Amino acid sequence: MYSSVVRLQNAFSFFTTVAFVVAALIASTDLLAPRTPGVGVLKTTNVQVVRGRPHYYSSKKEEYAIIKFSLDADLSSLFNWNTKQLFVYVTAEWPSAGGSSGSGQNASNQAVIWDSIITSPSADHLANLGPVAMKKLKRSAQGKSIDPSRGRLSIKNQRPKYQITHPSGKVAEQDDVVLRLHYNVQPWVGFLTWNQDADVWRWKTLRNNLSKKFTLPSIKKKDETKKAAK
Amino acid sequence: MNFGLILSTAFMMWKGLSVMSDSPSPIVVVLSGSMEPAFQRGDLLMLWNRNLFSETNVGEIVVYNVKGKDIPIVHRVVRKFGTGPDAKLLTKGDNNAADDTELYARGQDYLNRKDIIGSVVGYMPFVGYVTIMLSEHPWLKTVMLGIMGLVVVLQRE
Repeated sequence: MYSSVVRLQNAFSFFTTVAFVVAALIASTDLLAPRTPGVGVLKTTNVQVVRGRPHYYSSKKEEYAIIKFSLDADLSSLFNWNTKQLFVYVTAEWPSAGGSSGSGQNASNQAVIWDSIITSPSADHLANLGPVAMKKLKRSAQGKSIDPSRGRLSIKNQRPKYQITHPSGKVAEQDDVVLRLHYNVQPWVGFLTWNQDADVWRWKTLRNNLSKKFTLPSIKKKDETKKAAK
Repeated sequence: MNFGLILSTAFMMWKGLSVMSDSPSPIVVVLSGSMEPAFQRGDLLMLWNRNLFSETNVGEIVVYNVKGKDIPIVHRVVRKFGTGPDAKLLTKGDNNAADDTELYARGQDYLNRKDIIGSVVGYMPFVGYVTIMLSEHPWLKTVMLGIMGLVVVLQRE
């Protein structure tokens, strides 16, 4: 009964039990930390529609919307000791030609135009950056394992990372387009969370995260040869 | 006897989770670095495949299978056109510069809801690395089976 094999098994099972309990405790501390994210400004600064090709060797011509925007948001309360990274993204949303629901959770067209990964200082070493940028990033939070100030975003006239189109290839003169800010908190261990639609105890919704409705303009110029990198 | 019990318990738990989450594979191991820094190789992800409150939306990290390829891919939904089961979804890895159009089957430009086997809801780092080790170094499998066999033979109840 008391052979070394049994002892080894017991030690291993005790180790895994403790590890899982500790992980569960760490994950549950997320619930205790209040989340009060807020958006100051989210507005478009310059909107263009150009014709382009999905990739270099394609002969298909599509319309691409290039939406520049400004964003001012305070997401610092989302950073705690279990935060590995914050994924912040801005979507453009517009209703279908049929004219259904409009903007909302089930808006019929939704596309990310810009996103950003904000690592917690504890996860800086995992970020995909060049050596110089990495050094700078690490130095920005030297000695700190949590740096809420990284959650304060102030972006002016930002170019979109992604030029968006629609499967039909038509986006020009589209009405009722809105921008919406979202976030996704990636923990070190536990459940992934997104901005929620309703307050849940200490976690508040992301208020004011919609821009005003705007209309995409008609195609800019005929000889506009800007290649939309899809 | 004991050994068989452990195996069958593990199997039933897996199947139970599978029924609960409505996903053929409720737990997956991350195999690539395309979602770094969120997920590294060997991290364990828990999936959920039911749309109880809302549809699978932009921003969710989904695991999908492409026709003709066995390897499930974990990427984020970045575009969604339309609603319901026919909605067109486009995915992209956070760490990739380009979206996944290249990864899809020939002639396929978008995913449908049925291609997705679950959205990532839970995360546990590193635990799945064992499976990567076992598949990359097949001799480890032999060694492990050998040790197990020895234990079973030597164990006296």
